[in-house]
Amino acid sequence: MSKSPKSAFILKGVIIIILATAAGILSARFFLQRTVVQDELEATRFPVAREIQAFELVDHHNQVFDNAALEKHWSFLFFGYTYCPDVCPTTLSVLNSIAQRLQDTGADIRFVMVTVDPERDTPERLAEFVTYFNGDFLGVTGTDQGLGQLTRQLGILYERVQPEPGSEAYLMDHTAAVFLFDPDGRYHAVFSPPLSVEAIAGDFRKMLQDYQ
Amino acid sequence: MMPINRRMPAAMALLFLSFLSTAMAGSAVDVEAPWIREAPPASTVLAAYMVLKNTTDKGRTITGIDSPDFRDGQIHRTVVEDGVAKMLPVEQLIVPAGGSVVLEPGGLHVMLFDPKRPLRDGDSVILLIHDSDGDSVTVHAPVVRMTGGHDHSHHH
Repeated sequence: MSKSPKSAFILKGVIIIILATAAGILSARFFLQRTVVQDELEATRFPVAREIQAFELVDHHNQVFDNAALEKHWSFLFFGYTYCPDVCPTTLSVLNSIAQRLQDTGADIRFVMVTVDPERDTPERLAEFVTYFNGDFLGVTGTDQGLGQLTRQLGILYERVQPEPGSEAYLMDHTAAVFLFDPDGRYHAVFSPPLSVEAIAGDFRKMLQDYQ
Repeated sequence: MMPINRRMPAAMALLFLSFLSTAMAGSAVDVEAPWIREAPPASTVLAAYMVLKNTTDKGRTITGIDSPDFRDGQIHRTVVEDGVAKMLPVEQLIVPAGGSVVLEPGGLHVMLFDPKRPLRDGDSVILLIHDSDGDSVTVHAPVVRMTGGHDHSHHH
């Protein structure tokens, strides 16, 4: 029976299906380990939070802001600049609303704006800008090199736009997303615009639960 | 789940002013709910928002919006392309017959450069809305603190 051409044909078919399935599972695992999955969140969360290579910046208290500054608490990072009239104030308002909403979680959550315009954004200027929105917000600046060390790992883009004739103030194009780091100091998730207070706060609660 | 930029901030508080502004509008466009976002004290760039309405049967073209309280004003549009926020200058705004154009956070806005005096929440600023016929509409826009926290703006 097993030697009939029909059975051999079926057996071959089954083997092909098994191999194809195995290949599919293996390639899916390979793929998923290197990219991200969309789960029930609006945020894009990594299946395994990503290690961040060494970087060194300075916060608005003139203290070093490096990998250690991301550890032992959650951190929301936004990359903007203080000469930004629309996007950055809007984002910092959103982050402040999120901060108020998440107070009941009891989690230690920090909110940080890293400037993409270190030439103009001194620690003093950043301090005034970020604390206007929330006294606990932290502004971070540094050298071009230090900024590059962090932004390259996160895929952040920023570029100076040449001002129009007669105007001395230049604008910056910059990645608008908000980045979440977990208490291990790892890159945990990213929120893409449009940024919604409800969605981000809700996603954070789920991620906090999953993390614990 | 509504994105922040679709909210009409401080709508109730501005209702009175919007009526006032509408009443002051000439033949060009009606300007409703104009407001300026209060900025941190050292800021030299602020943003103004409003709704431009055209109740006539003829399209209107807004060629510029500025203020005697600022050195310069430019209409800009914030766009997010491939995750990157950019501000693009807008040469003119077409307000279609019977239609409206909304200037709001995260979208169209007037970028106001170099305030000539400190502007705080509750202050009033004159805005001039210029059209292609050479007419201008003058409105008084309140400065509104909007930090997402315990300020007086309404959140829905």
